[in-house]
Amino acid sequence: MTERTKAENEKEFIERLHRQGRIWCSACILLMLAAPVAIGLRLNAWPSIGGVAKGVFSVCIIYIPVCIVEVITYSPLLGTGASYLAFITGNLSNLKIPCAMNAHEIVGVEFGTVENEIVSTLSVAVSSLVTCAVLALGVMLIAPLGPLLSSKFLQPAFNTILPALFGAMGFTYFSKAPKAAIAPAAFMTALCLIIPAAGGQVGFLIPLGAAIAIIWTRFLYVRKKLGSVG
Amino acid sequence: MNDFLAVANSAFMYLVAGTVILAVVAMSTVFMIRAYREGIRLGIDKKKLQKAMTSSAAFTAVPSISILLGVLALAGKLGVPIPWLRLSVVGALQYESVAAQMAATGLGVPFTLESMNESAFVGIIFVMTIGIVWGGLFCIFGLKKYQSRITGKPGKKDARWGQLMFTAMFIGMVCAFVGAAFSDLRGYGDKDATFLSLAVMIISSASMAAFTYLVKNRGIKWLENFSLSFSMIIGMTFAVILKLAGVR
Repeated sequence: MTERTKAENEKEFIERLHRQGRIWCSACILLMLAAPVAIGLRLNAWPSIGGVAKGVFSVCIIYIPVCIVEVITYSPLLGTGASYLAFITGNLSNLKIPCAMNAHEIVGVEFGTVENEIVSTLSVAVSSLVTCAVLALGVMLIAPLGPLLSSKFLQPAFNTILPALFGAMGFTYFSKAPKAAIAPAAFMTALCLIIPAAGGQVGFLIPLGAAIAIIWTRFLYVRKKLGSVG
Repeated sequence: MNDFLAVANSAFMYLVAGTVILAVVAMSTVFMIRAYREGIRLGIDKKKLQKAMTSSAAFTAVPSISILLGVLALAGKLGVPIPWLRLSVVGALQYESVAAQMAATGLGVPFTLESMNESAFVGIIFVMTIGIVWGGLFCIFGLKKYQSRITGKPGKKDARWGQLMFTAMFIGMVCAFVGAAFSDLRGYGDKDATFLSLAVMIISSASMAAFTYLVKNRGIKWLENFSLSFSMIIGMTFAVILKLAGVR
Protein backbone atom coordinates (compact mmCIF):
# COMPACT_ATOMS: atom_id res chain seq x y z
CA MET A 1 0.00 0.00 0.00
CA THR A 2 1.58 3.36 -0.96
CA GLU A 3 1.69 6.16 1.65
CA ARG A 4 -0.83 8.22 -0.29
CA THR A 5 -3.25 5.34 -0.62
CA LYS A 6 -2.86 4.53 3.05
CA ALA A 7 -3.60 8.13 4.06
CA GLU A 8 -6.61 8.18 1.77
CA ASN A 9 -7.86 4.90 3.20
CA GLU A 10 -7.49 6.22 6.71
CA LYS A 11 -9.34 9.43 5.88
CA GLU A 12 -12.11 7.47 4.22
CA PHE A 13 -12.31 5.19 7.28
CA ILE A 14 -12.74 8.17 9.63
CA GLU A 15 -15.35 9.72 7.31
CA ARG A 16 -17.22 6.44 7.30
CA LEU A 17 -17.08 6.29 11.10
CA HIS A 18 -18.64 9.76 11.33
CA ARG A 19 -21.38 8.80 8.88
CA GLN A 20 -22.16 5.51 10.62
CA GLY A 21 -21.84 7.09 14.05
CA ARG A 22 -24.35 9.79 13.21
CA ILE A 23 -26.84 7.30 11.75
CA TRP A 24 -26.58 4.89 14.68
CA CYS A 25 -26.61 7.63 17.32
CA SER A 26 -29.69 9.23 15.74
CA ALA A 27 -31.49 5.88 15.56
CA CYS A 28 -30.65 5.00 19.18
CA ILE A 29 -31.67 8.44 20.49
CA LEU A 30 -34.98 8.28 18.61
CA LEU A 31 -35.61 4.82 19.99
CA MET A 32 -34.76 6.00 23.51
CA LEU A 33 -37.16 8.91 23.21
CA ALA A 34 -39.82 6.56 21.86
CA ALA A 35 -39.64 4.43 25.03
CA PRO A 36 -41.47 6.87 27.39
CA VAL A 37 -43.99 7.63 24.62
CA ALA A 38 -44.71 3.91 24.18
CA ILE A 39 -45.02 3.42 27.94
CA GLY A 40 -47.33 6.44 28.23
CA LEU A 41 -49.54 5.11 25.42
CA ARG A 42 -49.65 1.64 26.93
CA LEU A 43 -50.51 2.86 30.43
CA ASN A 44 -52.59 5.73 29.10
CA ALA A 45 -50.91 7.82 31.75
CA TRP A 46 -49.46 11.23 30.94
CA PRO A 47 -47.66 13.56 33.29
CA SER A 48 -48.38 17.28 33.17
CA ILE A 49 -46.30 19.08 30.54
CA GLY A 50 -45.42 21.73 33.11
CA GLY A 51 -44.15 19.10 35.54
CA VAL A 52 -42.02 17.39 32.88
CA ALA A 53 -40.68 20.78 31.70
CA LYS A 54 -39.76 21.65 35.29
CA GLY A 55 -38.01 18.30 35.75
CA VAL A 56 -36.24 18.55 32.38
CA PHE A 57 -35.10 22.08 33.22
CA SER A 58 -33.69 21.12 36.61
CA VAL A 59 -31.86 18.10 35.16
CA CYS A 60 -30.65 19.84 31.99
CA ILE A 61 -29.31 22.91 33.74
CA ILE A 62 -26.78 20.62 35.38
CA TYR A 63 -26.28 17.94 32.78
CA ILE A 64 -26.05 19.94 29.53
CA PRO A 65 -22.85 21.70 30.69
CA VAL A 66 -21.57 18.32 31.96
CA CYS A 67 -22.33 16.71 28.57
CA ILE A 68 -20.57 19.52 26.65
CA VAL A 69 -17.53 19.25 28.90
CA GLU A 70 -17.56 15.46 28.57
CA VAL A 71 -17.57 15.62 24.77
CA ILE A 72 -14.76 18.20 24.81
CA THR A 73 -12.67 16.26 27.34
CA TYR A 74 -13.30 12.65 26.38
CA SER A 75 -13.69 12.61 22.61
CA PRO A 76 -10.01 13.41 21.92
CA LEU A 77 -9.06 10.49 24.18
CA LEU A 78 -11.57 8.13 22.58
CA GLY A 79 -11.34 8.97 18.91
CA THR A 80 -14.22 9.02 16.45
CA GLY A 81 -15.94 5.62 16.47
CA ALA A 82 -15.51 5.10 20.20
CA SER A 83 -16.93 8.57 20.95
CA TYR A 84 -20.19 7.88 19.11
CA LEU A 85 -20.43 4.51 20.83
CA ALA A 86 -19.48 5.72 24.30
CA PHE A 87 -21.90 8.65 24.29
CA ILE A 88 -24.72 6.23 23.45
CA THR A 89 -23.71 3.43 25.79
CA GLY A 90 -22.84 5.74 28.72
CA ASN A 91 -20.82 5.13 31.88
CA LEU A 92 -17.91 7.14 30.49
CA SER A 93 -15.71 8.22 33.38
CA ASN A 94 -16.32 5.11 35.47
CA LEU A 95 -15.88 2.59 32.66
CA LYS A 96 -15.44 3.46 28.98
CA ILE A 97 -12.60 5.98 29.25
CA PRO A 98 -10.45 3.90 31.63
CA CYS A 99 -11.22 0.82 29.54
CA ALA A 100 -10.11 2.47 26.29
CA MET A 101 -7.03 3.92 28.00
CA ASN A 102 -6.16 0.50 29.40
CA ALA A 103 -6.44 -1.12 25.95
CA HIS A 104 -4.37 1.73 24.48
CA GLU A 105 -1.70 1.08 27.09
CA ILE A 106 -1.71 -2.73 26.77
CA VAL A 107 -1.69 -2.81 22.97
CA GLY A 108 0.79 0.05 22.80
CA VAL A 109 -0.63 2.45 20.21
CA GLU A 110 -0.16 6.20 19.80
CA PHE A 111 -2.95 8.73 20.22
CA GLY A 112 -4.27 10.29 17.06
CA THR A 113 -3.35 7.32 14.87
CA VAL A 114 -5.77 5.05 13.03
CA GLU A 115 -4.42 2.13 15.09
CA ASN A 116 -5.54 3.93 18.24
CA GLU A 117 -8.88 4.69 16.62
CA ILE A 118 -9.41 1.00 15.93
CA VAL A 119 -8.20 -0.20 19.33
CA SER A 120 -10.35 2.40 21.06
CA THR A 121 -13.47 1.47 19.06
CA LEU A 122 -12.90 -2.24 19.69
CA SER A 123 -12.36 -1.57 23.38
CA VAL A 124 -15.52 0.52 23.89
CA ALA A 125 -17.62 -1.86 21.77
CA VAL A 126 -16.48 -4.94 23.70
CA SER A 127 -16.90 -3.10 26.99
CA SER A 128 -20.47 -2.12 26.06
CA LEU A 129 -21.32 -5.67 25.06
CA VAL A 130 -19.87 -7.10 28.28
CA THR A 131 -21.76 -4.54 30.38
CA CYS A 132 -25.01 -5.34 28.55
CA ALA A 133 -24.39 -9.06 29.11
CA VAL A 134 -23.58 -8.60 32.83
CA LEU A 135 -26.64 -6.40 33.34
CA ALA A 136 -28.92 -8.80 31.43
CA LEU A 137 -27.60 -11.71 33.45
CA GLY A 138 -27.95 -9.72 36.66
CA VAL A 139 -31.53 -8.77 35.81
CA MET A 140 -32.36 -12.42 35.12
CA LEU A 141 -30.77 -13.48 38.41
CA ILE A 142 -31.96 -10.49 40.38
CA ALA A 143 -33.80 -12.59 42.97
CA PRO A 144 -30.80 -14.63 44.17
CA LEU A 145 -28.16 -11.96 43.43
CA GLY A 146 -29.98 -8.94 44.85
CA PRO A 147 -29.53 -9.71 48.55
CA LEU A 148 -25.89 -10.72 48.06
CA LEU A 149 -24.90 -7.62 46.08
CA SER A 150 -26.72 -5.26 48.39
CA SER A 151 -25.46 -6.97 51.58
CA LYS A 152 -23.92 -4.68 54.15
CA PHE A 153 -20.83 -6.86 54.23
CA LEU A 154 -19.93 -6.09 50.58
CA GLN A 155 -20.92 -2.41 50.60
CA PRO A 156 -17.40 -1.08 51.39
CA ALA A 157 -16.12 -2.91 48.29
CA PHE A 158 -18.75 -1.46 45.96
CA ASN A 159 -18.48 2.01 47.53
CA THR A 160 -14.78 2.10 46.70
CA ILE A 161 -14.89 0.87 43.11
CA LEU A 162 -13.86 4.23 41.65
CA PRO A 163 -10.91 4.79 44.02
CA ALA A 164 -9.82 1.20 43.21
CA LEU A 165 -10.09 1.83 39.46
CA PHE A 166 -8.34 5.19 39.44
CA GLY A 167 -5.73 4.11 41.99
CA ALA A 168 -4.64 1.32 39.66
CA MET A 169 -4.83 3.48 36.53
CA GLY A 170 -3.12 6.29 38.44
CA PHE A 171 -0.04 4.16 38.96
CA THR A 172 0.20 3.43 35.23
CA TYR A 173 -0.07 7.05 34.16
CA PHE A 174 1.71 8.76 37.05
CA SER A 175 4.68 6.45 36.58
CA LYS A 176 4.74 7.36 32.86
CA ALA A 177 5.05 11.06 33.57
CA PRO A 178 5.46 11.67 37.33
CA LYS A 179 6.41 15.33 36.91
CA ALA A 180 3.27 15.98 34.86
CA ALA A 181 1.14 14.73 37.77
CA ILE A 182 2.62 17.02 40.43
CA ALA A 183 0.60 20.20 39.82
CA PRO A 184 -2.83 18.67 39.08
CA ALA A 185 -2.52 16.19 41.98
CA ALA A 186 -1.43 18.92 44.40
CA PHE A 187 -4.16 21.29 43.22
CA MET A 188 -6.94 18.70 43.42
CA THR A 189 -5.78 17.46 46.83
CA ALA A 190 -5.64 20.98 48.24
CA LEU A 191 -8.99 21.95 46.71
CA CYS A 192 -10.78 18.87 48.02
CA LEU A 193 -9.24 19.17 51.49
CA ILE A 194 -10.22 22.83 51.74
CA ILE A 195 -13.66 22.42 50.13
CA PRO A 196 -14.64 18.76 50.73
CA ALA A 197 -17.96 19.18 48.86
CA ALA A 198 -15.91 19.60 45.65
CA GLY A 199 -15.33 15.82 45.79
CA GLY A 200 -19.01 15.30 45.09
CA GLN A 201 -18.71 17.21 41.80
CA VAL A 202 -16.27 14.96 39.97
CA GLY A 203 -17.99 15.86 36.69
CA PHE A 204 -16.63 19.38 37.09
CA LEU A 205 -13.32 18.36 38.67
CA ILE A 206 -12.34 16.22 35.65
CA PRO A 207 -12.18 19.02 33.04
CA LEU A 208 -10.53 21.30 35.62
CA GLY A 209 -7.92 18.62 36.39
CA ALA A 210 -7.38 17.98 32.68
CA ALA A 211 -6.91 21.70 31.96
CA ILE A 212 -4.41 22.12 34.82
CA ALA A 213 -2.53 18.97 33.77
CA ILE A 214 -2.29 20.13 30.13
CA ILE A 215 -1.10 23.63 31.05
CA TRP A 216 1.43 22.27 33.56
CA THR A 217 2.71 19.59 31.17
CA ARG A 218 3.04 22.17 28.40
CA PHE A 219 5.02 24.38 30.79
CA LEU A 220 7.39 21.49 31.61
CA TYR A 221 7.60 20.42 27.97
CA VAL A 222 8.51 23.88 26.67
CA ARG A 223 11.21 24.15 29.35
CA LYS A 224 12.44 20.64 28.51
CA LYS A 225 11.89 19.51 32.11
CA LEU A 226 9.88 16.38 31.39
CA GLY A 227 12.66 14.01 30.45
CA SER A 228 11.66 10.85 28.67
CA VAL A 229 8.00 9.98 29.06
CA GLY A 230 6.51 6.65 28.59
CA MET B 1 -46.38 -6.82 45.18
CA ASN B 2 -47.27 -3.16 45.21
CA ASP B 3 -49.67 -2.36 42.27
CA PHE B 4 -47.32 0.19 40.80
CA LEU B 5 -44.35 -2.21 40.94
CA ALA B 6 -46.44 -4.85 39.16
CA VAL B 7 -46.89 -2.38 36.28
CA ALA B 8 -43.27 -1.24 36.37
CA ASN B 9 -42.10 -4.87 36.25
CA SER B 10 -44.59 -6.00 33.62
CA ALA B 11 -43.63 -7.89 30.47
CA PHE B 12 -44.35 -4.78 28.37
CA MET B 13 -41.70 -2.80 30.26
CA TYR B 14 -39.19 -5.59 29.67
CA LEU B 15 -40.13 -5.53 25.98
CA VAL B 16 -39.55 -1.76 25.72
CA ALA B 17 -36.27 -1.92 27.65
CA GLY B 18 -35.09 -5.00 25.75
CA THR B 19 -35.82 -3.40 22.34
CA VAL B 20 -33.74 -0.29 23.07
CA ILE B 21 -30.93 -2.34 24.62
CA LEU B 22 -30.90 -4.62 21.58
CA ALA B 23 -30.40 -1.58 19.34
CA VAL B 24 -27.37 -0.59 21.42
CA VAL B 25 -26.04 -4.14 21.32
CA ALA B 26 -26.45 -4.07 17.53
CA MET B 27 -24.59 -0.74 17.31
CA SER B 28 -21.73 -2.05 19.47
CA THR B 29 -21.53 -5.27 17.44
CA VAL B 30 -21.50 -3.44 14.10
CA PHE B 31 -18.80 -1.02 15.28
CA MET B 32 -16.74 -3.87 16.71
CA ILE B 33 -16.89 -5.95 13.52
CA ARG B 34 -16.14 -2.98 11.27
CA ALA B 35 -13.24 -1.80 13.41
CA TYR B 36 -11.80 -5.31 13.45
CA ARG B 37 -12.12 -5.71 9.68
CA GLU B 38 -10.65 -2.26 9.10
CA GLY B 39 -7.75 -3.15 11.40
CA ILE B 40 -7.04 -6.28 9.37
CA ARG B 41 -7.38 -4.32 6.11
CA LEU B 42 -4.88 -1.72 7.34
CA GLY B 43 -2.46 -4.47 8.21
CA ILE B 44 -2.67 -4.25 12.01
CA ASP B 45 -1.52 -7.44 13.70
CA LYS B 46 -4.50 -9.70 14.50
CA LYS B 47 -2.97 -10.44 17.90
CA LYS B 48 -3.03 -6.74 18.77
CA LEU B 49 -6.68 -6.47 17.86
CA GLN B 50 -7.56 -9.55 19.88
CA LYS B 51 -5.52 -8.24 22.80
CA ALA B 52 -7.51 -4.99 22.75
CA MET B 53 -10.73 -7.01 22.88
CA THR B 54 -9.75 -9.51 25.57
CA SER B 55 -8.20 -6.86 27.81
CA SER B 56 -11.34 -4.73 27.51
CA ALA B 57 -13.62 -7.66 28.31
CA ALA B 58 -11.51 -8.57 31.36
CA PHE B 59 -11.40 -4.95 32.44
CA THR B 60 -15.18 -4.39 32.17
CA ALA B 61 -16.39 -7.27 34.34
CA VAL B 62 -15.75 -5.69 37.76
CA PRO B 63 -17.08 -2.16 37.06
CA SER B 64 -20.16 -3.73 35.41
CA ILE B 65 -21.10 -5.34 38.70
CA SER B 66 -21.18 -1.90 40.32
CA ILE B 67 -23.46 -0.70 37.49
CA LEU B 68 -25.72 -3.65 38.26
CA LEU B 69 -25.87 -2.33 41.82
CA GLY B 70 -27.23 0.92 40.37
CA VAL B 71 -30.04 -1.11 38.77
CA LEU B 72 -30.75 -2.71 42.11
CA ALA B 73 -30.72 0.64 43.89
CA LEU B 74 -33.37 2.08 41.57
CA ALA B 75 -35.41 -1.12 41.17
CA GLY B 76 -37.19 -0.62 44.48
CA LYS B 77 -38.79 2.60 43.21
CA LEU B 78 -38.94 2.25 39.41
CA GLY B 79 -39.11 -1.52 38.95
CA VAL B 80 -36.33 -3.49 37.24
CA PRO B 81 -36.75 -2.86 33.46
CA ILE B 82 -36.42 0.96 33.44
CA PRO B 83 -33.25 1.15 35.58
CA TRP B 84 -31.90 -1.73 33.46
CA LEU B 85 -32.58 0.32 30.34
CA ARG B 86 -31.26 3.57 31.79
CA LEU B 87 -27.99 2.01 32.94
CA SER B 88 -27.45 0.03 29.73
CA VAL B 89 -28.05 2.96 27.38
CA VAL B 90 -26.34 6.36 27.84
CA GLY B 91 -26.97 6.30 31.56
CA ALA B 92 -24.26 6.58 34.13
CA LEU B 93 -24.15 5.22 37.63
CA GLN B 94 -23.64 8.69 39.10
CA TYR B 95 -26.38 10.28 37.00
CA GLU B 96 -29.45 8.08 37.17
CA SER B 97 -30.50 8.20 40.80
CA VAL B 98 -29.87 11.96 40.99
CA ALA B 99 -31.83 12.53 37.76
CA ALA B 100 -34.73 10.38 38.95
CA GLN B 101 -34.84 12.30 42.21
CA MET B 102 -34.77 15.67 40.40
CA ALA B 103 -37.41 14.50 37.94
CA ALA B 104 -39.72 13.46 40.77
CA THR B 105 -39.21 16.81 42.50
CA GLY B 106 -39.97 18.66 39.26
CA LEU B 107 -43.14 16.63 38.88
CA GLY B 108 -44.10 17.41 42.47
CA VAL B 109 -43.98 13.78 43.63
CA PRO B 110 -41.80 12.49 46.47
CA PHE B 111 -39.38 9.89 45.09
CA THR B 112 -40.74 7.02 47.18
CA LEU B 113 -42.48 3.82 46.19
CA GLU B 114 -45.60 4.79 48.15
CA SER B 115 -46.04 8.06 46.24
CA MET B 116 -45.27 6.64 42.81
CA ASN B 117 -48.09 6.46 40.29
CA GLU B 118 -48.23 5.71 36.58
CA SER B 119 -48.18 9.29 35.30
CA ALA B 120 -45.30 10.22 37.64
CA PHE B 121 -43.49 7.09 36.42
CA VAL B 122 -43.90 8.10 32.75
CA GLY B 123 -42.85 11.65 33.63
CA ILE B 124 -39.69 10.46 35.38
CA ILE B 125 -38.74 8.32 32.36
CA PHE B 126 -39.28 11.32 30.06
CA VAL B 127 -37.12 13.57 32.21
CA MET B 128 -34.36 10.99 32.70
CA THR B 129 -34.24 10.31 28.94
CA ILE B 130 -34.32 13.93 27.78
CA GLY B 131 -31.75 14.87 30.40
CA ILE B 132 -29.16 12.35 29.23
CA VAL B 133 -29.31 12.45 25.41
CA TRP B 134 -27.21 15.61 25.04
CA GLY B 135 -23.84 13.92 24.78
CA GLY B 136 -25.12 11.83 21.86
CA LEU B 137 -26.69 14.90 20.25
CA PHE B 138 -23.47 16.87 20.55
CA CYS B 139 -21.66 13.97 18.89
CA ILE B 140 -24.15 13.94 16.01
CA PHE B 141 -23.96 17.68 15.39
CA GLY B 142 -20.53 18.74 16.57
CA LEU B 143 -18.05 15.89 16.93
CA LYS B 144 -16.71 15.98 13.37
CA LYS B 145 -16.10 19.72 13.50
CA TYR B 146 -14.58 19.56 16.98
CA GLN B 147 -12.25 16.69 16.11
CA SER B 148 -11.05 18.38 12.94
CA ARG B 149 -10.16 21.43 15.04
CA ILE B 150 -8.37 19.31 17.63
CA THR B 151 -6.37 17.15 15.25
CA GLY B 152 -5.81 19.83 12.57
CA LYS B 153 -3.94 19.04 9.43
CA PRO B 154 -1.69 16.01 9.67
CA GLY B 155 2.03 16.56 9.48
CA LYS B 156 1.97 20.09 10.86
CA LYS B 157 1.80 19.18 14.52
CA ASP B 158 4.37 18.46 17.16
CA ALA B 159 3.84 14.69 17.44
CA ARG B 160 5.51 14.32 20.84
CA TRP B 161 3.46 17.10 22.35
CA GLY B 162 0.33 15.48 20.89
CA GLN B 163 1.04 12.26 22.79
CA LEU B 164 1.94 14.16 25.96
CA MET B 165 -1.23 16.21 25.82
CA PHE B 166 -3.42 13.10 25.81
CA THR B 167 -1.41 11.57 28.64
CA ALA B 168 -1.73 14.83 30.59
CA MET B 169 -5.48 14.92 29.96
CA PHE B 170 -5.90 11.48 31.48
CA ILE B 171 -3.57 12.30 34.37
CA GLY B 172 -5.84 15.28 35.08
CA MET B 173 -8.83 12.96 35.11
CA VAL B 174 -7.13 10.58 37.56
CA CYS B 175 -6.17 13.57 39.75
CA ALA B 176 -9.85 14.54 39.99
CA PHE B 177 -10.53 11.16 41.59
CA VAL B 178 -7.46 11.51 43.83
CA GLY B 179 -8.97 14.79 45.02
CA ALA B 180 -12.34 13.10 45.58
CA ALA B 181 -10.64 10.50 47.81
CA PHE B 182 -9.20 13.34 49.92
CA SER B 183 -12.67 14.90 50.13
CA ASP B 184 -13.90 11.63 51.62
CA LEU B 185 -11.31 12.02 54.39
CA ARG B 186 -13.24 15.03 55.63
CA GLY B 187 -16.76 14.02 54.62
CA TYR B 188 -19.37 16.36 53.15
CA GLY B 189 -23.12 16.67 52.87
CA ASP B 190 -24.65 13.48 54.26
CA LYS B 191 -21.45 11.55 53.53
CA ASP B 192 -19.49 10.57 56.63
CA ALA B 193 -15.73 11.08 56.72
CA THR B 194 -13.94 7.91 55.62
CA PHE B 195 -10.37 6.83 55.14
CA LEU B 196 -11.43 3.87 52.99
CA SER B 197 -11.41 5.66 49.61
CA LEU B 198 -7.84 6.86 50.00
CA ALA B 199 -6.67 3.55 51.48
CA VAL B 200 -8.21 1.60 48.57
CA MET B 201 -6.65 4.00 46.08
CA ILE B 202 -3.20 3.46 47.61
CA ILE B 203 -3.62 -0.33 47.85
CA SER B 204 -4.86 -0.77 44.27
CA SER B 205 -2.08 1.51 43.07
CA ALA B 206 0.53 -0.57 44.93
CA SER B 207 -1.05 -3.78 43.55
CA MET B 208 -0.84 -2.38 40.03
CA ALA B 209 2.85 -1.57 40.65
CA ALA B 210 3.43 -5.17 41.75
CA PHE B 211 1.59 -6.61 38.72
CA THR B 212 3.46 -4.30 36.36
CA TYR B 213 6.72 -5.55 37.86
CA LEU B 214 5.62 -9.18 37.38
CA VAL B 215 4.64 -8.54 33.76
CA LYS B 216 7.65 -6.45 32.75
CA ASN B 217 10.44 -7.90 34.86
CA ARG B 218 9.32 -11.47 35.45
CA GLY B 219 7.81 -12.05 32.04
CA ILE B 220 4.39 -13.18 33.32
CA LYS B 221 2.68 -11.87 30.20
CA TRP B 222 -0.77 -13.38 30.76
CA LEU B 223 -1.18 -11.14 33.79
CA GLU B 224 -1.15 -8.02 31.61
CA ASN B 225 -4.82 -8.27 30.60
CA PHE B 226 -5.92 -8.83 34.18
CA SER B 227 -3.58 -6.50 36.12
CA LEU B 228 -6.15 -3.74 36.40
CA SER B 229 -9.06 -5.99 37.38
CA PHE B 230 -6.94 -7.87 39.92
CA SER B 231 -5.63 -4.60 41.39
CA MET B 232 -9.18 -3.34 41.76
CA ILE B 233 -10.35 -6.55 43.38
CA ILE B 234 -7.43 -6.45 45.85
CA GLY B 235 -8.20 -2.82 46.70
CA MET B 236 -11.92 -3.52 47.13
CA THR B 237 -11.24 -6.63 49.22
CA PHE B 238 -9.11 -4.49 51.52
CA ALA B 239 -12.03 -2.08 51.84
CA VAL B 240 -14.13 -4.94 53.26
CA ILE B 241 -11.29 -6.09 55.54
CA LEU B 242 -10.58 -2.57 56.80
CA LYS B 243 -14.26 -1.98 57.46
CA LEU B 244 -14.48 -5.26 59.39
CA ALA B 245 -11.40 -4.14 61.35
CA GLY B 246 -13.31 -1.04 62.36
CA VAL B 247 -11.56 1.47 60.11
CA ARG B 248 -13.96 4.25 59.15
